[in-house]
Amino acid sequence: MPREAEPSTNEQAFLLSALRENIRLDSRAFDAFRPIDLSFPGGPDEYGTAEVRIGKTRVLAKISAEVVAPYADRKFEGVFTIACELSPMGSAAFEVGRQDQSEILLSRLLEKTIRRSGALDTESLCIVAGSKCFHIRADIHVLDHDGNLMDASCLALVAALMHFRRPDVEIHGEEVTVFDVRERDPVRLAMQHQPFCVTTSYYDGGAIMLQDATLLEEQCRDGEIVISMNRFGEVCSIAKYGGTPVDGLSMLTCTNVALEKVKMLDKLVKDSLAADEKRRDAGGLMAELSAENDR
Amino acid sequence: MATITVLLPGEEVPVDQLPKARKGKLTLGPGLRHIAPSTILSTTTGSLYVDHKKSALWLEHDNGRYQPAVGDSVIAQVHHGGAESYACSLTPHTSFALLGQLAFEGANKKTRPQLKAGDLVYARVSRASKWEDTEIECFNSGTGKAEGMGPLKGGMLFDVSPSFARRLMMGTEKDGRSKGGVVVLEEVGEKVRFEVAVGRNGRVWVDSSSVRETLAVGRLVTQADEGKWNLEQQRKAVKKSLRDL
Repeated sequence: MPREAEPSTNEQAFLLSALRENIRLDSRAFDAFRPIDLSFPGGPDEYGTAEVRIGKTRVLAKISAEVVAPYADRKFEGVFTIACELSPMGSAAFEVGRQDQSEILLSRLLEKTIRRSGALDTESLCIVAGSKCFHIRADIHVLDHDGNLMDASCLALVAALMHFRRPDVEIHGEEVTVFDVRERDPVRLAMQHQPFCVTTSYYDGGAIMLQDATLLEEQCRDGEIVISMNRFGEVCSIAKYGGTPVDGLSMLTCTNVALEKVKMLDKLVKDSLAADEKRRDAGGLMAELSAENDR
Repeated sequence: MATITVLLPGEEVPVDQLPKARKGKLTLGPGLRHIAPSTILSTTTGSLYVDHKKSALWLEHDNGRYQPAVGDSVIAQVHHGGAESYACSLTPHTSFALLGQLAFEGANKKTRPQLKAGDLVYARVSRASKWEDTEIECFNSGTGKAEGMGPLKGGMLFDVSPSFARRLMMGTEKDGRSKGGVVVLEEVGEKVRFEVAVGRNGRVWVDSSSVRETLAVGRLVTQADEGKWNLEQQRKAVKKSLRDL
């Protein structure tokens, strides 16, 4: 099974000695992110695609919706699934058709962060109880891998969910009409909160902590702590898969730094969504065309 | 100003671009292919370069991975050791190159460098063909001298594109002008002491007395490659980073 090429001993030793002198290889501060670029590609009628670039890491998230029958034990809820794919396009270490460790971890963490924390209100996806509901599917594609896939995918997923609009429906008894985008303005998804992941890599048993590690920094680290929370500081999950133990106090500092970063990411998503809205709202007619009800 | 001809794969080299010399053999470099009787086709995308004196022509392009060729100086990373040779990687995710256990200066069965997985060596490609494993050596097998090659201790490795590595290794003209149009290393070298090894496989190894200096040199090299800096931009960046040191 192909693996990411190991860095040489020279690189590992140099990276650690630089970190001990408080220097990162790309001259960032320890808690600084690389420049983040969030864009929503697609024409005026296309919603739900978000592309995130953090440095050289690049992730694309695409949301789609279809009408299906709900699960028998959850008649009043829609279906929401997340599919992660690490294709060889992202890195030569990813193989088609075989799940490797990082892929499983990535999809499980996204599942925990977004789905199990109830970020998407699945009850609002129900059309006719027990027979029809929306199935929202999120596809994550890693286009380029230079570390910090977790944060990038989570950011792309949340941004895409907030950008997505499902087709409007009308119900007459058992009869359901699904309207095309051109017939009726599509409807936003009901999001209850927006959680983001922040990964902290640590070295020297927790003495050195980094946010947004590059691939080389990830390969040399002792371990990682992934904290997902929303901008109100409500922690959705804390994950630490193996690695050397760290003490509780540094875990707390981690959470504090994560909150700061989550606020930054949240603002970034809101700003980019507003900018995108402005771009799409060419004639200033969006408000009039909207079919959304005031709640 | 001379215009640059850009060729796409399968395009014919225009007749007026061929070297002027009527005598001698025509030499075709990378990216070109001769089809009898008189057609010269490009096999890749690139810009055409012609040397009229040597009656040679070749294509240059930025993309692509490194293909070993005999005589290239490369920085290889030891992957594992065997009974007779070390398996080294020149580029990630490609088949290994073989480095003989005794292919070092003054090495015999008793005294030979013990390399571990992950160690770096500066070596020269001694055999490269399509059908066999690439072989590299850390000495000149003709003279038995190291000629600067051997294991690389300490320092840091920086990745650049293969074409930039080639430009770095072109050296200077008689009047001190850089042939490849890269002056970062010379400019920094006037103020900072450092050691450098450039591998044709797109790797630059830098070592100096402090982490800060090593990083500054490495960053200048990688940024000059990524930003496609011209001479003026390179000098400016060097001045700025020297001020920060």
